[in-house]
Amino acid sequence: MDFEVTIGLEIHVEMKTKTKMFSATPVAFGAEPNTLTSPYDLAFPGTLPLPNKQAVINAIQVSHALHMKIDHELHFDRKNYFYSDLPKGYQITQNRRPIGSDGYLDIEVNRKTNRVEIERLHLEEDTAKQLHFPNYTLIDYNRAGIPLIEIVTRPCIHSSDVAAKYVETIREIVSFLGVSDGKMEEGQLRCDVNISLRKTGDKQYGTKVEVKNINSFNYIKIALEYEINRQKALLEKGEAIVQETRRYDEEHKATQSMRLKTDSVDYKYFPDANIPIIKLSDEFVNNAIKSSKELASAKRSRYQKEFKLNDYDTGIILSNIQIANYFDECAKLSKHYKSIANWIISDILAILNKNALTIDQFEIKPKTLVSLIEEIESGKISNKIGREIFNYMINNHVDIKTAKEKLNITNQQSDDKAIRTLVIEVLDNNAQSIKDYHAGKDRALGFLIGQVMKKSGGKVNPALTSKIMIEELNRRK
Amino acid sequence: MNYLDLTIKEIHEALVNKKVTPLELVNEAIKRAKEDKCNAFEYIMEKEAIEMAKTLTEPEKDNLLWGIPFAIKDNISTKDVPTCASSDILKDYVPIYNATIIDKLLAKKAIPFAKVTLDELAMGGTGATGHLGKTTNPYNNERMVGGSSCGSAAVTASAIVPFALGSDTGDSIRKPASYAGLVGFKPTWGRISRYGLFPFTPSLDSLGFFTRSVYDSATILNAVAGYDMHDFTSSKEKVDDYTSDLDKSIKGVKIAVIKEILDTISDTNIQKKFQETLKIYQDLGATINYVSMDRHLLKTLFPTYYIISCAEATSNNANLDGVKFGLNLEGDTFNDSLIKTRSKGFSERIKRRFVIGSYSLMAENQNELYLRAIKNRHKIVDEINKILKDNDVIFLPASPSTAPKFDNKVDQLEDEYLIADNYMVIANFAGLPSLTLPVGFIDNLPFGFNLTAGAFKEKKLFNIAKALEDKSGFYNLSIRTKK
Repeated sequence: MDFEVTIGLEIHVEMKTKTKMFSATPVAFGAEPNTLTSPYDLAFPGTLPLPNKQAVINAIQVSHALHMKIDHELHFDRKNYFYSDLPKGYQITQNRRPIGSDGYLDIEVNRKTNRVEIERLHLEEDTAKQLHFPNYTLIDYNRAGIPLIEIVTRPCIHSSDVAAKYVETIREIVSFLGVSDGKMEEGQLRCDVNISLRKTGDKQYGTKVEVKNINSFNYIKIALEYEINRQKALLEKGEAIVQETRRYDEEHKATQSMRLKTDSVDYKYFPDANIPIIKLSDEFVNNAIKSSKELASAKRSRYQKEFKLNDYDTGIILSNIQIANYFDECAKLSKHYKSIANWIISDILAILNKNALTIDQFEIKPKTLVSLIEEIESGKISNKIGREIFNYMINNHVDIKTAKEKLNITNQQSDDKAIRTLVIEVLDNNAQSIKDYHAGKDRALGFLIGQVMKKSGGKVNPALTSKIMIEELNRRK
Repeated sequence: MNYLDLTIKEIHEALVNKKVTPLELVNEAIKRAKEDKCNAFEYIMEKEAIEMAKTLTEPEKDNLLWGIPFAIKDNISTKDVPTCASSDILKDYVPIYNATIIDKLLAKKAIPFAKVTLDELAMGGTGATGHLGKTTNPYNNERMVGGSSCGSAAVTASAIVPFALGSDTGDSIRKPASYAGLVGFKPTWGRISRYGLFPFTPSLDSLGFFTRSVYDSATILNAVAGYDMHDFTSSKEKVDDYTSDLDKSIKGVKIAVIKEILDTISDTNIQKKFQETLKIYQDLGATINYVSMDRHLLKTLFPTYYIISCAEATSNNANLDGVKFGLNLEGDTFNDSLIKTRSKGFSERIKRRFVIGSYSLMAENQNELYLRAIKNRHKIVDEINKILKDNDVIFLPASPSTAPKFDNKVDQLEDEYLIADNYMVIANFAGLPSLTLPVGFIDNLPFGFNLTAGAFKEKKLFNIAKALEDKSGFYNLSIRTKK
C-alpha cells in the first residue's frame, strides 16, 4: 500500500529580548531559579501587562522574513486554563488576529524546492518552568513571561526531510535576525509536529498524531521517521490510528504515548481589556523591517556574488551566526575574502573545535586576524611565517608585535633599491650562473635567488626578488 | 466640635493653623473606628498610621492632603498590609507592592488609616457578601449601605475619615454614595491608574473615592490622576487642576434627563425632589433637555453587564489557585489542591458568577452570550455618546430608593430594578466620569442624584455638581453633623 504523509509544525521560539513580554523583568538564560521575577510574573492581584515593543519589532521582522502579511493592529487575547506552570490562570496570546499571517518558506531538499505554507505567527508569553520530582514539583518563574513567537504551518509538508530542513531554516532565520539563539537543547526553540498518513489518492486526511518533546535538531528526522513507520505498520495491519499526543524518547529512539486527545480543550479565548488594540503605523512596521539584520540567504548570495566564495566556504561560514558575524567583521576591514575564509575555516575552526570554544570566545579578534592577513597579502611576511605568528599568539596570548619580536621576525625586505643592490652583488660574483641562465638552465635562477635570500637572512620578498633578478639578468645578456 | 467631622479643606486649614496635628487626627480616627457599629473594617492600620503621623510635624500650606487620614477599600494593593478583598481565598495575603493610587497619596503625605470591607472581590451591590458578613448603613444599621464599596461608604459617612478610596465596576461607588449621603466619584476610564486594583472587570473597573464635599473630590483627583507607566490603559490626556473652576457660573450648561429611566422610579419623594433640583439648575441658568432612550435597550443594561462582568471575572480571578499566595489547601495533585482551595475560598455567590461567566465564554455559547453582550455594550455606548454630544451632563436619581433593608426582596425582572436600579453602569460601559451627590433625606435616610459627563470632562462635572451642592446645602453630611 502507498501512503502519503502529511505534516504540520508548530514552532515556539523564545526571544532574547532584554525584558519579558509583559513586564520589565530582565530575561537571562541560566540565572538562579526565581531570581528574575516581578509581581506581574507571579500574577499578584492588581498587576497589569505592559507589552514589550522590542518583541513586537522582532515578530514583525520574522513575519517579514517568512513573507507574511503583517497586521497593523495588535490584538491580544486570553487563553484560559488552569495549570501549575501558568501563574495567571490564563496566557496572553494572539488568537483572533496574529501579527503575521499567510506566509511561506521555500525549502530546498535534493535540489527540489518545496514551498512550506505558513498559516500564522503570533506573540505570546512563556509559562513557568517545572521540575518534577516523585513527590513534589518545583516551579521556576524566571521563564514565566518570556516573549515567544509561535509559527504555525499548514498541513502541507510531505516528508521528514522537508520538515527537518524547515525547522533548521526557521532556526537560521531567528538566529540571524538576532531574535533568538534558537537552541533546541535549551528549549529556546520547541517544535510540536502533527503527522497523519492517508492512502495515496484519498481526499480525507488520516487521524492526526501530535509529537512533542523533540529536544534536538538531530532527532527531528529520526522521530518523524519513527512515527511515520509506526503509523504505516498499523495501517498496513488494518488497525486504526489513535488520536493522541506522543512524546519523543531519546533513549529508546521512539515516540511514546503521553495522552489521548479526546474533545479538544475549550480555552474560552476573549480579548484582554488590559491591552487595548495597539495601532502600528506604517512607519513603525517599515522601520522594523528596515532595521532587520541580514538573513543567511542574503549573506549567501553576497558571499558568492560579491566575494566570489564557493559553496563549501559559504556553507561553513553560514553554519552559525557567530562565525558569519566574525567573517563579516573581517570582510569590512579587508578585501582578501578568500583568504579570510581560508583562515577561519582551516585554522580558527580547528582550534575552536579542539578547545570546545565558540568563535565569540576566540582570543584573536577580526581586527588582528585581518592585520595578519594584510601583512601576508602585501608580501611583508610569508604565509608560513604568518602561521607561525598566529600559533605563537594563541599559545602565548600576545599580540602580533610581541609575537614577531619573540620569534625574531622582521618584515620581508620589499624595498626595491635595497633588493636590487643585493641582486647586483650576487650577479657580480656568479658569472657562470648568468651564462647558465641565458643558456636556458632554469635551475640557475633558483640558485641566484637563493643566494640573495641567504645574504639577506631570508628577509627579502621572494616575488619581488625574482622580478628584479630577471630584470638584471636580462641586462647582462 | 471635632476636626474629623470636617471636610478635607477645613481640616487642612486647622492643620496649617496648628489647631490640630495629624497624630491627633489619627488617634481620634482610631477611637471612632473602635466604636464602629457598621462592621466596616478589615484591618485598622493603627501602628502604621500613628508612626506616619508622628513624622508629620511641619504642615504644607499648599498641600491639602498633608496629614489627612483615609480609608482604603480592601481590593487595593497595600505593601506590607494584609489585603484580602473580603474573601477567604486571599486569607493572609500580604502584598509586596503598593497600588499607584496609594503611592500618589503617600507622596502627598495623606495617611493610610484602614483597609475597609467590600462585597467579596467587589462582586455585589449589597455590602452583605464579604467574608466578615454584612457591612451596615451608619444612618440605620438595619439597612444596607450598598456595595460593593460598603466599608468605604460607611467609614466616610461615620466621619471616621474624611475620605475613602473605592472602586466602581457597575455603580459600586456611586450607589453606596447615594445610600450614605456622600459625594461618590468615578473618573473617566484611564484617568486614574488601575495598577494595584484587584481586577473584577478591567474594561469596566475604575478607582474613585467617597468624600463629603465636591471640592474634596476634586482635590483628590488632582493628586491621583495621570498617566502611569505600570498601567498601559492609563491616559496621557493632560491632567487639569480640577478645583480651579468649581465656582464658575453654570449658565448655559445643558443637562440631559433620560425620560425612560426617570419614569421607572415609583418613589414620589424622589420624583418631587428631582423636579425641585431641576428647578435649581434652571434658576442657575442651565437648560434641561428631556431625551429618550429605547426602553428595550435600557432593559438589557443589567444582563449585558452581568454577562461581561462574570465572563471577565472568571479569568481575572484564575490566578487565585493556591500556588503563589492566599489560601492553599493541600491535595494529591495540582488539580486536587486547586479544586479544594477554590471550593473553600470562594463563597457560593462568587462560584455562581464564575459558572455563568465560564458558560458564556464557552466556544459554543460565546456568540450568543459574551460576544452578543459586547456588541450590545457598543450599542448602548453609541446611544449615550449621542446624548452627550448635545449635552454637558446626564442627570438622574442615583437610585430609585433610599438604602433598602437587608431582607428587601426585589423583583429582578421589574423595570424599576432593571432600569432605575442599574442604569449607572452606563458610565462604566462608556468609561465616563460620573458623580453622585446627596440631595435630601427620606425618613432620616439620605439619597443622592447622579451626574455623568463626557470622557475627560471631569472639570465640568465637578463644576455642575458644586453648583447644586452650594444651593441645596447638602454639604459635609455624616452621622455626626446631621442636624
